[in-house]
Amino acid sequence: MDSVVSIAIVGSGPAGCYVAQSLRRALPESEITIYDRLASPFGLVRYGVAPDHQSTKSIQAQFARLFERENVRFAGNITVGSDVSLDELRSTHNIVVLASGLSEDRVVGVPGEDLPEVHRAGRLTRVFNAHPMEPVGVPDFGGAVAVIGGGNVSIDVLRLLIKRPEDFANSDVDDTALGQYAQAPVRRVEFICRSTVANAPSDPVMLAELGRIPGVAFTCSDPVAVPEDATRQASARAKALEGLLELAPGPQTRVQVALHFGWSPVRILGADHVEGVELRSVEDDREHRRVATDSVVTAVGFDFDRHNWHGLGELSRNLETGALDRGLYRTGWIKRGSRGTIAENRACAKAVAEEILADLPALDPAPRPGYDGLPEDVRARAVDYAAWRRVDLAEASAAAHGRARKKFPSHDHMVAIAHDTLAGPSGAGNH
Amino acid sequence: MKIQVLFGTESGNAEMAAEDLALSVRSDDQEVEVHDLSDFSISELQHDALYVFICSTYGEGDLPNTALPFFADLNIVRPDLAWVRYAIFGLGDTFYSETYSQGATKLADKLNELGAERVGEFGRYDASSWEPVGEKAVEWFSGVLEAAAQMQ
Ligand SMILES: Cc1cc2nc3c(=O)[nH]c(=O)nc-3n(C[C@H](O)[C@H](O)[C@H](O)COP(=O)(O)OP(=O)(O)OC[C@H]3O[C@@H](n4cnc5c(N)ncnc54)[C@H](O)[C@@H]3O)c2cc1C
Ligand SMILES: Cc1cc2nc3c(=O)[nH]c(=O)nc-3n(C[C@H](O)[C@H](O)[C@H](O)COP(=O)(O)O)c2cc1C
Repeated sequence: MDSVVSIAIVGSGPAGCYVAQSLRRALPESEITIYDRLASPFGLVRYGVAPDHQSTKSIQAQFARLFERENVRFAGNITVGSDVSLDELRSTHNIVVLASGLSEDRVVGVPGEDLPEVHRAGRLTRVFNAHPMEPVGVPDFGGAVAVIGGGNVSIDVLRLLIKRPEDFANSDVDDTALGQYAQAPVRRVEFICRSTVANAPSDPVMLAELGRIPGVAFTCSDPVAVPEDATRQASARAKALEGLLELAPGPQTRVQVALHFGWSPVRILGADHVEGVELRSVEDDREHRRVATDSVVTAVGFDFDRHNWHGLGELSRNLETGALDRGLYRTGWIKRGSRGTIAENRACAKAVAEEILADLPALDPAPRPGYDGLPEDVRARAVDYAAWRRVDLAEASAAAHGRARKKFPSHDHMVAIAHDTLAGPSGAGNH
Repeated sequence: MKIQVLFGTESGNAEMAAEDLALSVRSDDQEVEVHDLSDFSISELQHDALYVFICSTYGEGDLPNTALPFFADLNIVRPDLAWVRYAIFGLGDTFYSETYSQGATKLADKLNELGAERVGEFGRYDASSWEPVGEKAVEWFSGVLEAAAQMQ
């Protein structure tokens, strides 16, 4: 194909940005547009990565270059599947890459999960991150909560729940959510990890970080030590946990965290309301353990959201190829499932970009107009990168003391700032 | 003398810094090449070049996985690098307080052990600082070039 290739990437998270990077390098003349349903780019870097982990969010500077100097177009406020159909996108672009991630919280699959006090980590982290499409509101957790899941998202949730408001200095946490939560913070957390300490999926450094929060007493009734020949990561995890268990805040204790390793939930207890969780040992058939709690947060990964906007049906987890159909690809979490760090999406995107490049000669050679081929009303609603920067700057200047920024929680408000159509003379900062 | 910038990265920041650095020194009189350590073999190391390693840290203070094959080759082949002059800039995050920037340190230790000579300051970049990594790398490299000029 000699003519200019037009490429649509659906989703501006790490997967979409990395694949745009690779494609831009290989095809300097191509026309690349990254579409996103949100008015902001960067996906979970902005709305998943914890608000108190600002250094992780600094990867945005790398991705911003695509739009600032590498001639990649950002088209936010366009939901593929409603504002424009996938077929329409495919008929106007030579290549379409789905990089739309996975946002539906996976269920644990145990009885009792539909009780009203069972909450989901994805939703909760979106609330604290001021995601504009998450109905605002922090649930009432009662005095004790069980956090089910042993990965890093689960630790993010635990950390959010046990920090005091003053521990969020220099973050961009949503202060409305934080204020609501501070009314009735939990006093006890049961942290439930299926794996043993040696095999747990958590980053040791994130465990160690918990020890820097004042007033938290940690307990664990399972063995923490790992075998001599355990991996370095496992040994580091054991060491981090030992450090937590040595802390003794005594009378300063605000909140207790009971750690369970090697225990899998069997059912959530309670008839109309959560009363606890029943656990089974994964390694042996010891007697079940029961923990009494008022609420539950599950953090066991994410699935494809079943609204099925693209008409492709259930997606298989085929790790061999990013190709879904002629000219249609996927990368990132929507390809590999909800595993792995931001960095893993880079290697994934590189591999998918190579597949695309290899397929190019065989594609329909007729040029397709790309972005300009979309209907006028779709292009009119788009938030381009310059428009997003207006929101970005408004957020930065609205930051309260001790905050990196104030994220605007309303999508319409963001779009109004982006399009410079905010009603009234007061301007962006005074919402 | 040719400048060879070799980067080891997982999430792409070291690559960005490498490109910025290359752009800042490339001219009609100055040849600069940029390579990903994952596509660079130790047999390609040349005499008449200044090597600039830009390398992040992962895991328990390890090199990024894209740089591991190169590092393993240094360990296995143990080439004599007595003629190699290099500069090194490590990317890390002080959030990882115990292993801050250790990946680059490991690489430098290995190069030294094989006889290579470091030029200029050991550069370090902390992601928690939110400073633009490219600018920091360029700033650091001007010091390296001064040190290199003094050695000649
Ligand atoms: C709570 C949480 C915390 C995390 N913390 C870290 C961390 O600290 N460090 C780390 O390395 N990794 C972290 N991760 C993992 C990391 O976020 C993922 O690896 C990465 O974001 C996946 O990239 P992606 O581009 O596939 O998906 P996403 O980042 O989810 O991006 C998908 C994008 O597609 C858009 N989109 C979806 N549907 C449509 C549609 N129909 N039309 C248009 N646009 C659409 C979305 O709005 C979104 O912007 C975290 C994940 C979560 C959930
Ligand atoms: C999972 C993970 C582990 C990390 N471990 C360390 C570490 O041990 N020491 C350190 O200094 N930095 C560590 N970092 C920070 C990275 O080195 C830093 O973000 C760097 O900018 C990444 O550069 P890259 O994009 O070139 O890979 C880690 C980052 C991640 C995501």
